[in-house]
Amino acid sequence: MPGTAEVRSLYRAFLRESVKFPNYNIREYVKRRATTGFRQHATEKDTAVLDSLRQQAQADLEVVKRQAIVYHLYSRKQKSVMDIPLATMLEEQAAAAPYSQSSS
Amino acid sequence: MTQPLGRAGARLLARFAKSSSVAECSGAAGTAPKVLAAAQAGRQFSALPEPIEDVPPHPATANPAAAIPEELMEMKGIKLSGAPLYLDMQATTPLDPRVIDAMMPLMTEQYGNPHSRTHMYGWESEDLVEGARLQVAALIGADPKEIIFTSGATESNNLALKGVANFYSGKKKHIITTQTDHKCVLDSARYLSQRGFEVTYLPVKPDGLLDLELLEQAIRPDTAIVSVMMVNNEIGTLQPMKEIGAICRKHKVFFHTDAAQGIGKVPVNVNEMNIDLMSISAHKLYGPKGIGAIYIRRRPRVRLEAQMSGGGQERGIRSGTVPAPLAVGFGKACEVARQEMAVDTAHIKKLADRLYNGLNDQLQHIVLNGPQDQKQRYVGNLNLSFAYVEGESLLMGLKDLAVSSGSACTSASLEPSYVLRALGVEEDMAHTSLRFGIGRFTTEAEVDRAIALTVQHVSKLREMSPLWEMVQEGIDIKTIQWSQH
Repeated sequence: MPGTAEVRSLYRAFLRESVKFPNYNIREYVKRRATTGFRQHATEKDTAVLDSLRQQAQADLEVVKRQAIVYHLYSRKQKSVMDIPLATMLEEQAAAAPYSQSSS
Repeated sequence: MTQPLGRAGARLLARFAKSSSVAECSGAAGTAPKVLAAAQAGRQFSALPEPIEDVPPHPATANPAAAIPEELMEMKGIKLSGAPLYLDMQATTPLDPRVIDAMMPLMTEQYGNPHSRTHMYGWESEDLVEGARLQVAALIGADPKEIIFTSGATESNNLALKGVANFYSGKKKHIITTQTDHKCVLDSARYLSQRGFEVTYLPVKPDGLLDLELLEQAIRPDTAIVSVMMVNNEIGTLQPMKEIGAICRKHKVFFHTDAAQGIGKVPVNVNEMNIDLMSISAHKLYGPKGIGAIYIRRRPRVRLEAQMSGGGQERGIRSGTVPAPLAVGFGKACEVARQEMAVDTAHIKKLADRLYNGLNDQLQHIVLNGPQDQKQRYVGNLNLSFAYVEGESLLMGLKDLAVSSGSACTSASLEPSYVLRALGVEEDMAHTSLRFGIGRFTTEAEVDRAIALTVQHVSKLREMSPLWEMVQEGIDIKTIQWSQH
């Protein structure tokens, strides 16, 4: 087996890089895709397949690192609504709903 | 926010300062991993990406409660507490980071005109564009020579209909399409009908599917082309491509399909489906806006008249310089779609079921427009009608949800969608429809948030509605004789 530890550290690197994305959707996607990808091949035994998977993962990790910078350079000033708790949002909306005056 | 940006910026600047000396030797010195060099083979001279230094985590992940300053957005008189969550994947999709990564070198160092034959800049650009053509062809099971880059699916549709009709106008005078096709197909057909062609607009069944017998009856000896949309942009109906293709082949009529909404989302093979012409758009499959392609079959050969005169690029069918960065992004998007289709489909299906069941559990009187059978629809498109709710008010209320009432082309008008009308959806239900589009980057939390917000607003609007009150009392609204004013 060519290094379970190496595979594990590669997976951790994806998770570490994912939190650097200011964009909510990309951040979550990198996390999710890394998890499903590593899990999908967890039982893979063929060394040739494992080798190509590792190469692919390393190339993808480089993409993630570069894109984290690009997304940082052009990130929004405002957060995504997904970074606001639902309860706060519902309260705000109830207070400022366009139809609130007519209903109450 | 300013601090991490500042730090990252400073690091980048430092990197740029030394990059000129590092760039030449980075491949050989072993600082760049071998894989990277392999991935970049073909880009020998320039724009080799380097491994990069650390960027700090985004504040939202480090401290979700208070890290980002509260900056209210105000656009069009609507105050937004944050960027709305995006559920309009049929209008357009965000770029995949892998696509941006593939495009960057062409927007910096590799700016050559792919048609320049006299220098390195042209050659490397041409190689990249041809590579992209191969990637597009691979996704649909075609030969790269059958792919022509255009500006998007609208241009491809125009080219297919007008090009084929005009080329064969000596013998063929008839065109068949459906009532639910995209506006650009219908408008091209209308244009041709003003110039002596006869057009048959086939009706569809209440679930949006084409009646195959009706199609076969409509084909005449002088029919030039049949154009049927693969996946409907508003209701997600997936037409039986194989069967339609077989009918067209049997009658020796060209079969064109607008597959903008289908490519990269459902498996497509032009040979299995007997497709002769197909329109593709990059920005519906996480690629850049402004590029698309038309597939034109070579055997048996489909001939068409070019719609633009010019330098004869793309074998004379579509003159004008191919936008190399966009083409490369398009190619990459197709490659990613091919690799990710199984994972994406499983994810999207899970989320679509979650959304539909979540809304149905908490709200009554929701109707899913289009086919109910998941095999006959693209699952990432849920067009729902909320009875007894006024659609515009609902959209106004759901400002934190980027959804639309139908296609982006017609979202400015208050008219109910012509697609829903063609299905026979009643006027009041057509007015209350919302289209939820789910894609690769949609998360479970977003779907849960969308359910909570939709339930809140629909319930609130229904509470205010006198019609809803009557329904609750058991009055059948359809039997009421409204007095005239």
